[in-house]
Amino acid sequence: MTASILAVEIRDELYAIIREPTAAFFSIAMPVGMFAVFATLFGTEGNGPVSGATLMLATFGAFGVISVALTPGIGIAEDRERGWLQVKRVSPVPVRTTLAAKVAASLPVAFGVYAAMSLTAFAMGLFDTDMGTWLQIAGLLLLGSLPFALLSMAVGFVARGRAAPAIINAVFLPMAIAGGLWMPLEVLPAFVQDLAVWLPTYHTSQLGLGLLVGESIVDNVAALLAATAVTASLAAIGYRLMRAE
Amino acid sequence: MTVNNVVTIRGLDHRYGATHALRGVDLTVAAGECVALLGPNGAGKTTLVGALTGMLAPSAGIARIDGADPRRPATRRRLGVVHQQAGFPRTLKVRELVSGWAVRAGRPASDAEAVLTEVSLHDLTKRRVTALSGGQQQRLQLAMALVVDPTLLVLDEPTVGLDIDARRRFWATLAARRDRGTAVLLTTHQIEEAAAVADRVVVLHEGTVIASGHPADLTAQLPDRTVTARTALRDSELRALPDVLDVTVADGRMRAASARAEATVQALLAADPTLSDLRVEGATLEQAIVAMTTQESQEVAA
Repeated sequence: MTASILAVEIRDELYAIIREPTAAFFSIAMPVGMFAVFATLFGTEGNGPVSGATLMLATFGAFGVISVALTPGIGIAEDRERGWLQVKRVSPVPVRTTLAAKVAASLPVAFGVYAAMSLTAFAMGLFDTDMGTWLQIAGLLLLGSLPFALLSMAVGFVARGRAAPAIINAVFLPMAIAGGLWMPLEVLPAFVQDLAVWLPTYHTSQLGLGLLVGESIVDNVAALLAATAVTASLAAIGYRLMRAE
Repeated sequence: MTVNNVVTIRGLDHRYGATHALRGVDLTVAAGECVALLGPNGAGKTTLVGALTGMLAPSAGIARIDGADPRRPATRRRLGVVHQQAGFPRTLKVRELVSGWAVRAGRPASDAEAVLTEVSLHDLTKRRVTALSGGQQQRLQLAMALVVDPTLLVLDEPTVGLDIDARRRFWATLAARRDRGTAVLLTTHQIEEAAAVADRVVVLHEGTVIASGHPADLTAQLPDRTVTARTALRDSELRALPDVLDVTVADGRMRAASARAEATVQALLAADPTLSDLRVEGATLEQAIVAMTTQESQEVAA
């Protein structure tokens, strides 16, 4: 029965993403559109045999996957404000199932964003990797988005419905730029490059870049585990605050 | 005879910091029984419902549904709740919502069809829930509460926003479910509606149960009656009648509050042979509750 409950919860969350045009635009269309623009401008500038557009699958791919991973928190804040979360809390569904469904529902959408970017690179003739590596990058990006999903939940547990997306974007967009998701760190000021290594966005993108150029990602994985621990703690604190409301 | 209590609340006590919201409340609701929980704002109704639906852990005492702790999700599988407002998700359609609710309670999704017919939403199954009117949304909430085949229904101001016809249908649906053994706990400020549908009224005041019984028994505890009639007697003569507490006269019609209506009416008939259109009205449940809570406050203050 637990599997069928989870399936219904995931179905409802998928509808919430797909049937909401505003959310779909910011989470899906915008990252893919930005990838197309940047790949057109800089897609041929690469690192050795790997084209710039393919490298961007790791950086813009991280941006796209994280954008979707941040949607659960927005959904939680809206559900709280409308009173729907209260309705769910007196249902037989444990809250952890509802939260897990929000994250689970974001995974296929995030993968879809990554796939759409890849198709764009392929259509431009700039897709320079094999299917195995492509799938590994997808898996790493999805795992690397976990701390962001937890961060968004932390915000969703305490922020008002309309404030949540503003807060999440105010945190994420600077982290995305400073973490090298929009443009290579080399073209950014030195202090931004120094700052980047402290940002989980940087480490998420490095997972894919490391695979593409053959560099170790052990340090990046360690950094993301630490970020996951921190954001999980924030989410737990936010959850307690919400329960005390 | 053994009474099958669906709700058992014993010694329920809850504090929010310095505020003592519930003070050792005891309450039972039997299968098929409808209990109305009444009282002014801040009486503790929401806290009691929160403890009963598993929303909060009480400071002391127990709340049980069918003998089980409502804090456990499995206990809530046959709990139906109608909230004042549900805040439905914008992206779901009527059938999706109700069938999904059935699945969450461990029932087949197909159970939604019969329930949607029961609440007269069968023609709107493909409509987005946020496109429904206020009354339709209340019926949708009722459908969600019924599709779990509830042993207990908790209704919080369930008929707000419903027109007269929709109210009648709402209570008729509830009556059918009660006949099948569903217990109902109703909280509302629409006291006369509660008096009409409840088997028992429980009055909560400052976290304590101050009265419990059939609505008619509670109103009978209030001796005051209102005597109205067309009379030629003057205001001063009316005030001199036995047991009269207060008098108003307008357009030749007197309205007197009496502590003992029988004595007042006998004296009135004797004093005015032209008396006409005589009526004696009992206290309403609202008057009874106001009197009880006022007396309770005065006793606490003393």
